[in-house]
Amino acid sequence: MNRILADVQAFGKQFLRSKIGAFFTFVFPILLILLFGALYSNPGSTSVSLPVQNLDGTPVSQTFLDMLNRTNLTKITMIPAGEDIQAYIKAHSLTLALYIPADFGQKIASNQTASVTLYGDTSQTTYGVAQGVLNAVIEQMNSYVRGSPPVVVMSSQSVVSSQFTFMDYFVPGIVAMTVMITAMYTMTSVCAEYRTRRYFKLLATTTLSKPEWLVSKILFYGVMTTLSLLVTVGVGIALWHVHVVIDPLSIVFILVGTFLFTSLGMLLGSAIKDPESSAAVANAIGFPMMFLSGTFWPITMMPDYIQALAQVLPLTYLNDGLRQAMVYGNMSLAAVDLGVLAVAGVAVFLIAARVMSWKER
Amino acid sequence: MDTVIDTQNLVKQYGDLFAVDGFTFDVGKGTVASLLGPNGAGKTTTVEILEGLRRPTSGRASVLGFDVMRDYVKIRRRVGILPQDFEPFDRLTPMEALAYWGRLFNRRVTREDAKALLDSVSLSERGKVQGIRLSGGEKRKVGIAMSLVGEPELLFLDEPTTGLDPKARRDLWRLIRGMREAGRTVFLTTHYLEEAEQLADDVGIMHHGKLIVRGRPEDLVARSGLVTTIVLAGAGEAGLREVARRGIRAELHDGRDVLVRVADPAEMRSVLAKLSSIELDLKDMYTRRGTLEDVFLKLVGAKMDEGVLQE
Repeated sequence: MNRILADVQAFGKQFLRSKIGAFFTFVFPILLILLFGALYSNPGSTSVSLPVQNLDGTPVSQTFLDMLNRTNLTKITMIPAGEDIQAYIKAHSLTLALYIPADFGQKIASNQTASVTLYGDTSQTTYGVAQGVLNAVIEQMNSYVRGSPPVVVMSSQSVVSSQFTFMDYFVPGIVAMTVMITAMYTMTSVCAEYRTRRYFKLLATTTLSKPEWLVSKILFYGVMTTLSLLVTVGVGIALWHVHVVIDPLSIVFILVGTFLFTSLGMLLGSAIKDPESSAAVANAIGFPMMFLSGTFWPITMMPDYIQALAQVLPLTYLNDGLRQAMVYGNMSLAAVDLGVLAVAGVAVFLIAARVMSWKER
Repeated sequence: MDTVIDTQNLVKQYGDLFAVDGFTFDVGKGTVASLLGPNGAGKTTTVEILEGLRRPTSGRASVLGFDVMRDYVKIRRRVGILPQDFEPFDRLTPMEALAYWGRLFNRRVTREDAKALLDSVSLSERGKVQGIRLSGGEKRKVGIAMSLVGEPELLFLDEPTTGLDPKARRDLWRLIRGMREAGRTVFLTTHYLEEAEQLADDVGIMHHGKLIVRGRPEDLVARSGLVTTIVLAGAGEAGLREVARRGIRAELHDGRDVLVRVADPAEMRSVLAKLSSIELDLKDMYTRRGTLEDVFLKLVGAKMDEGVLQE
């Protein structure tokens, strides 16, 4: 045990002094929390900017624009009435513009069908948002004009016990991603560096055994990722008031996840010949996993075949397990995730311990 | 004398290449033994087999009475090792590295112990500088200090002075002599002929994986018939022809100097008398004792510079 602790201590000094590892463990997750928190914590910021040319001077068109404004989904700016709208769009490189013709109010008053035109780039998501908002407002206006109450209305009701925000979903994902980066990325490059610089051979001349070295790394990264969890969640609560809890189960998830990803890093590092390639290989595996395993958005938003792929990615189970433990409090689902992570961790650890060689052939 | 290292017909084969080919050697306790040879001769492969870092293809080797393949864990507790390609940990200071290394040998290294170790390799001034900021020679010294941490009975030093400046090299030689006086055994590999000659009680010259000769440096010189050489500096080819005409065997060195090798000291007087009777255009004339370099040249047929054969 003394040898393991000595190795943890010496490795820890090197890890923290290199600064890169410390950056990805402590600073990077905080930067992501700050960035995404600023983007998603204010609903008004998601509205679509909608330039409008209103050639109709009647209160009807004004009522229509007021209704659009009340949705909070559009930010209306006015295009001067004297401008040719198509020339104006081209001159100002607009991707969206709404045209209300001069006879808009008159036609509605005389029970004729009035029309508005939405100009824009149909390939942009903002076009779809504006189209949806306009359809909803037009439908509501038609209903008023017909004088009949709406037949069907829709209301929103959350299925979870509290009102969760995007950041509540996001923070456990960032914690899981940090576990992967800290353990897998750095372990891959550490193994490649230790082999290139002959540190493995040097260690092989001591009484420290290979399994002791592996355990030392898992212990060290376990401590680092647990500290990172506390810091990340602390910042999330302080700045964005996230509704997450850190209980013993979430710590267990961090430790088991660290065990799995450290072992995976050892396995990759054993197969890679030089430190330069290690970053490329870790990125090639880590990046797709980050995006496909529900770190930033729910897996259910993705196509079926990607959802199927996500089921074989270990980060999926860490993401989901942490959310079940920290946000939703669903222990039975968390237990399934934990079981998958633990079994995969033991399997990868055994393979890595067998594949990794300190000695020369 | 107790035998500390004993190998019998050791072979290490990679495909068709014999990196070590039938190596038989033994090292007595409290001596300095050296394997000498050019790069690729098989020195490091041999020493790494003895350290338990490589498995031999065939043959037998024991260190401190333990089989190197079966009992390498027991061996490690009692030996110190400086690998050929040693690199200190970039972000640890020498003081920290020594404390860390000591714990890996289940030994507590106090601050005073670490300072004394660094002092022994003339590195105490740089004890708190991270490895990445040390010079090549200083890094090597850290490695030597680390190899001494476990107070080993036997030290394996694989090319310990490569990259060191002359002063640091002589400091290290002094350290190795001190170890021998303290009763420790040192097994070192080198491609510096002078180093082996200065330090070793027993020298083995390796070439193409084979041990081609082995013995005390002075015995190797004597056995090779190279006791003394008379150097006729600047005599050139004309001088060589004149000397040969008088029936004296000689050779031209570097196109300038004529070398007359005298194997039997009793012949020295008559050879000198013959040479003094010849009218030669010389810059200088002096005698030089035979060295390991001469032995190496004679056996291998080439000189060696920084481990590279000058064919």
